[in-house]
Amino acid sequence: MKRPLLTFSFVLIAVIFSQAQDFRFGQITTQEMNMKNYKNDTSAHAVVLNEFGKSTINIGSDDNIKQIYEYHVKIKIFDPKAFDKGTVKVLLYSNDKNEAYEDISDIKAITYYKDDNGFTQKAELENKKIYPVKENKYWASAKFALPGLRPGCIIEYKYKIESFRWDKIRTWEFQDDIPKIYSELEVHIPAFFTFNASIKGYLKLTKNKAEVESKCFETHGASCDCSLINYGMADIPAFKEDDYMTAPKNFASAINFELVEWQSPYDGLKHKQTKEWRDIDYSLKTDYSFGGQLKRKSLFKDKIAPMIAGKTDELAKAKAIYQGWQKWFKWDNFIGIYSDNISRAWDSHSGDVASINLSLSAALAAAGLNSEVVLLSLRDNGAINTLYPVVSDFDYVVAKVNIGDQAYLLDATDPLLPFGVLPFKCLNDKGRVFSLDKPSYFMDMSLPQREKSAYILDVTLTDDGKLKGTLTNYSTGYEAYKRRVEIKKYNSTDEYVESLNNRLPKWKITNAKIDNIDSLDMPVAEHYSVEIKVSDKPEDASKLTFSPYYIGRRSTNPLKLDERSFPIDMGMASEDRYTLIVHLPSNYMVETPPQPISLAMPNNGGKYLSSYQPGDNSFSFVYLTQFNKSVYGAEEYPSVKEFFNKIIQSQKAEMVLKKK
Amino acid sequence: MKRPIAACFFAVLTFAAKAQKSYDASLIPKDLLPYASSVVRDEEITIEVKDLDNAIYHVKKAITVLNKNGDEDARIVIYHDKSDVIRGVKGTVYDQFGKQTEKFSESKFDDVSVGSGSLFDSMRAKHYLPPVTDYPYTVAYEYEERSKQTLNFDPWIPNAGEGIAVEKSTFTFICNPGFNIKIKENNLHDKVVTGLNKDGQKTYTWQVNNLKALRYEPLSPYFRNYATSVQIAPEKFAYYGLKGSYTNWNDLGKWISDKLMANRQALPAQTIEHVKEITQNITDPKLKAQKIYEYMQSKTHYISVQVGIGDYQPFLASDVDQQNYGDCKALVNYTQALLKAVNIDSYYCIVKSGRQHNVSLLSDFASMGQADHIILCVPFKNDTTWADCTSQTIPFGYLGDFTDDRTVLALTPEGGKLLHTPKYPAALNLEKRKAEFVINADGELSGSMSTVFKGTEYENRDELLKEQTSEQYKMERKNYPINNMDIQHLEIKQDKGFDPSTTETIRMRARDYATFQDGKYYFLLNPANRETYVPRQVRNRLNDVNITRGVTEEDEVTYTVPPGYRLEKRVLDVNLDKSFGKFTANMELKGDKLTYKRKFQLIGGTYDKSLYQDVVDFFQSVADADEYNVVLVKN
Repeated sequence: MKRPLLTFSFVLIAVIFSQAQDFRFGQITTQEMNMKNYKNDTSAHAVVLNEFGKSTINIGSDDNIKQIYEYHVKIKIFDPKAFDKGTVKVLLYSNDKNEAYEDISDIKAITYYKDDNGFTQKAELENKKIYPVKENKYWASAKFALPGLRPGCIIEYKYKIESFRWDKIRTWEFQDDIPKIYSELEVHIPAFFTFNASIKGYLKLTKNKAEVESKCFETHGASCDCSLINYGMADIPAFKEDDYMTAPKNFASAINFELVEWQSPYDGLKHKQTKEWRDIDYSLKTDYSFGGQLKRKSLFKDKIAPMIAGKTDELAKAKAIYQGWQKWFKWDNFIGIYSDNISRAWDSHSGDVASINLSLSAALAAAGLNSEVVLLSLRDNGAINTLYPVVSDFDYVVAKVNIGDQAYLLDATDPLLPFGVLPFKCLNDKGRVFSLDKPSYFMDMSLPQREKSAYILDVTLTDDGKLKGTLTNYSTGYEAYKRRVEIKKYNSTDEYVESLNNRLPKWKITNAKIDNIDSLDMPVAEHYSVEIKVSDKPEDASKLTFSPYYIGRRSTNPLKLDERSFPIDMGMASEDRYTLIVHLPSNYMVETPPQPISLAMPNNGGKYLSSYQPGDNSFSFVYLTQFNKSVYGAEEYPSVKEFFNKIIQSQKAEMVLKKK
Repeated sequence: MKRPIAACFFAVLTFAAKAQKSYDASLIPKDLLPYASSVVRDEEITIEVKDLDNAIYHVKKAITVLNKNGDEDARIVIYHDKSDVIRGVKGTVYDQFGKQTEKFSESKFDDVSVGSGSLFDSMRAKHYLPPVTDYPYTVAYEYEERSKQTLNFDPWIPNAGEGIAVEKSTFTFICNPGFNIKIKENNLHDKVVTGLNKDGQKTYTWQVNNLKALRYEPLSPYFRNYATSVQIAPEKFAYYGLKGSYTNWNDLGKWISDKLMANRQALPAQTIEHVKEITQNITDPKLKAQKIYEYMQSKTHYISVQVGIGDYQPFLASDVDQQNYGDCKALVNYTQALLKAVNIDSYYCIVKSGRQHNVSLLSDFASMGQADHIILCVPFKNDTTWADCTSQTIPFGYLGDFTDDRTVLALTPEGGKLLHTPKYPAALNLEKRKAEFVINADGELSGSMSTVFKGTEYENRDELLKEQTSEQYKMERKNYPINNMDIQHLEIKQDKGFDPSTTETIRMRARDYATFQDGKYYFLLNPANRETYVPRQVRNRLNDVNITRGVTEEDEVTYTVPPGYRLEKRVLDVNLDKSFGKFTANMELKGDKLTYKRKFQLIGGTYDKSLYQDVVDFFQSVADADEYNVVLVKN
């Protein structure tokens, strides 16, 4: 997965006076009005004609430092499918401390359209049709719909947000689900503040200009110059999502900002935000919501005592504490890496990811174990920036315990996860290992986790046209976790088996036994006695033709397109193995056996094998599919697709049984 | 008007404190445990109407959660809008032995907006789920909510979801002697108990005990038809400052017309002029209405906006004219105004929408809140025509499966009138396909395939038609289960007349359609239309089988296969004839021409539950037949 990533340092090029770069509001051209489609992408339902954003760090109306964000866009709408572009929802954040949300103002919106007589008209948004909504404790929104939409119209709107989050310059997304002719972001950053900017995606900037504005920032007697930077991009294609893909965020072009350091305009003190990993290590360690919580080992000394009583082995202790945590906590569905108070979370049995896993790590340390934590970015949050140190890309934290030379990653938010197995959503890019006493370091999060299932169907063909025997299914690794999740959807194992039986009308499950449902470290083993209806009247025919791919047969290719521009991300390697053993009545013999086949993807990417073994009035047939990688590059798409195609091809063949 | 009925699960505490019930989980009757994730131990819901603009609700409930799957059943959700007042929220958590472990109050609740799909919606919800990890546990809580309207009362549905058993639930309605109500009871064992309380108020009380947990049963009738419930409608009521009274649909329709709809159809003179102009050369009123409907479609689009009096009032026609958008109410009101400009009368019709079930308004029980959508009815002489005004693409007179075959309330000049929307019978919901293919020696399939969609199937390609060619090809590859489908030409035509149809023609090839191995060819006989749905079996099914609407599929495929081969295995020849459906599939090889014919028909209706296993077997036989693999062997 290669991703060009550029950094910019704010070099002062020349001191000049700058002018506003925004395009004029309320101006359209005849050419724009008459556009029938967008020549670079005739399938587009709309195109952004021009888009301009401006982020300025300045003193707000309440005399505090603010980020002032202005947004302005003009969109050509070709057909009704893009009318949703005319309904705008602007999200406004609150830190939930004082119920203050970011403040939106200066909303203006106009639609230009041709009336029934072909004259260009405009319709303006009325202020009373702007709807403010308090969504929940973290988010409010302002919603409005552009008036007078019709095919061929142009919409234009702008607004301004005053945000208390001066330290988080908004990410600018160059690429959207419709193409853009031009998009530009302008940032004004006073010299008191230093930010790093990074570009994601494969598109190149067409404008990248830095200047200095003199004396643009002034508060309480302190003043400084600003960096004025313009990032522009022309002819941006629409971003289209594919199946089997991680976060679009990883691939769509955007520019992100990270505060590196700042100097207080009030007392001149310097604050390093992110510079070197050791600075981040220090700030995390001293952060009350992170290191401050991790340190609270003593909280858990007596709480873990009963869990590890009598255990001397380190692994046994770690497992006991992990299981204790899984049982104690109910995850409140919030993610994040900071916890206000792990003690309060403990008392309430409830917490976010950080509270649960930071406290787990503290407890493991309290038991004398070598305990660390790993900061990571969930799959839908995208990959992390590894070019320079940032902490804001991380949105999840898990515990890590080192026993001997073995490391185990632990997430106690899910009671069904085995010790040392992380949920699928965590398997993404790199994680940063952090501890209170050592420097932090990166680890690869594409862990050697696998999902593996093995089915063994051992049956006898009976005179009444049935297959009777046993089906055994072993689910190992992550597959075992998925199986348990499925089983636990039912109130009891009996209800699970009943449901399984109900979903397979041709199967009758006469007996069932499932092992290791609650032994999370073991494979789930399902044993069923089954009767399968094969044919209504087999005695009619002297020949019986049937497909040996009784379970797990593929008949459609999941990859449908000819080509692909993004990697195929399957999350983790997998293996499915099916074994069919059939005992035949003495008057039957195999006339056409299935053909053994062996397929392999290039570079050991995966394989498909089948093998046939005749026996005494019986035969066994094994077929197995292996995917050895979690991610296949876009260039491997044709071979993965063809791999599926070949499997489907081979599974069409049938075998023939003949009466002697 | 797209929302669950009114708002509030409220009620009132009027009973004196009773002896506290023990919430020990082991005291739950054993026969309530099967299929239950949670058990309502004790619920008391009371509505007290103090005045026309003052109804107090009290909810008191204790629910035992047996395992993780039941957690959400214990979530406390209090819906409200600006005019509602919530008071006295408090609750307690008990462990499996009934020992108190925690107390909570309103400060724990989060208050969220629930109308995220709308441009605006005043409805909000306060909610809280106590975090407990040891099962079973019990949450007992109560709260009070005051509403300023008496037009809608929330129905009492003690067993409101799958996996929840009910040990005991009571519902009490209290009002002054002068406050008359209408009652609709459903599936109740015990009769209502009526009386007078010490303040001289009338009381109505219902109770249920020991309801078992419901299971999911495929092809079930509409939930509300078999659930236990009580609905109450007022005679006199107040609603956001408006007053009214009704005893039947006619009165209610009249009140809506007079109070919510009056004087909302004025249009700018220019618009009136324009619609007159575009229809001036048309004499047939139906064709005139069609022209106006198409004009409305080309001009407007749907956005959900829940403003106006209690969400029931459409915004002004002149607003739609200027803004070009509206919700279903506004768009129907606007279309009516346009029609009126050319002297065509039409009705604003209130309907319960939905594809899965055709839900009729209850003919014997008039109340607001049974519906969620508005459609248009144009009563031409001998030809009543219906239209949904929220789509920009469907033909005039086409309702599709969203509002077909159900009773709706039409607002006529004579008051409210129940009308029934048209039914699309099985024979008219047609997907008819004819294909001619060649399979060459390499196993490649090539040829063309033409499909006609009618009735409720008419809309099947509407989404695709909104896209350009390259995107259409991608979508077709997902529509058809043909691997390696390479489309060479695609044409889709729509006839938007009064018997609309869509015709799709595809010319294509697909390599590796047939596998050649051991001197034999193998390929799937049914290339385009394989049924994979088989409803799961249900032991001891409780509900009748409901097939909401019928459908007919006809496929005829001719293959030219490599010469000199014969069929190796038994030919496909299936013929099923059931009351709820018919299926035939057969094949014939003559020389190198292999012909495959398939006809599948489902007949809409309600069938006795004893037929359910037959329905499962029917679908399984269809799925098996559709999987038929042709084996060709050298002569």
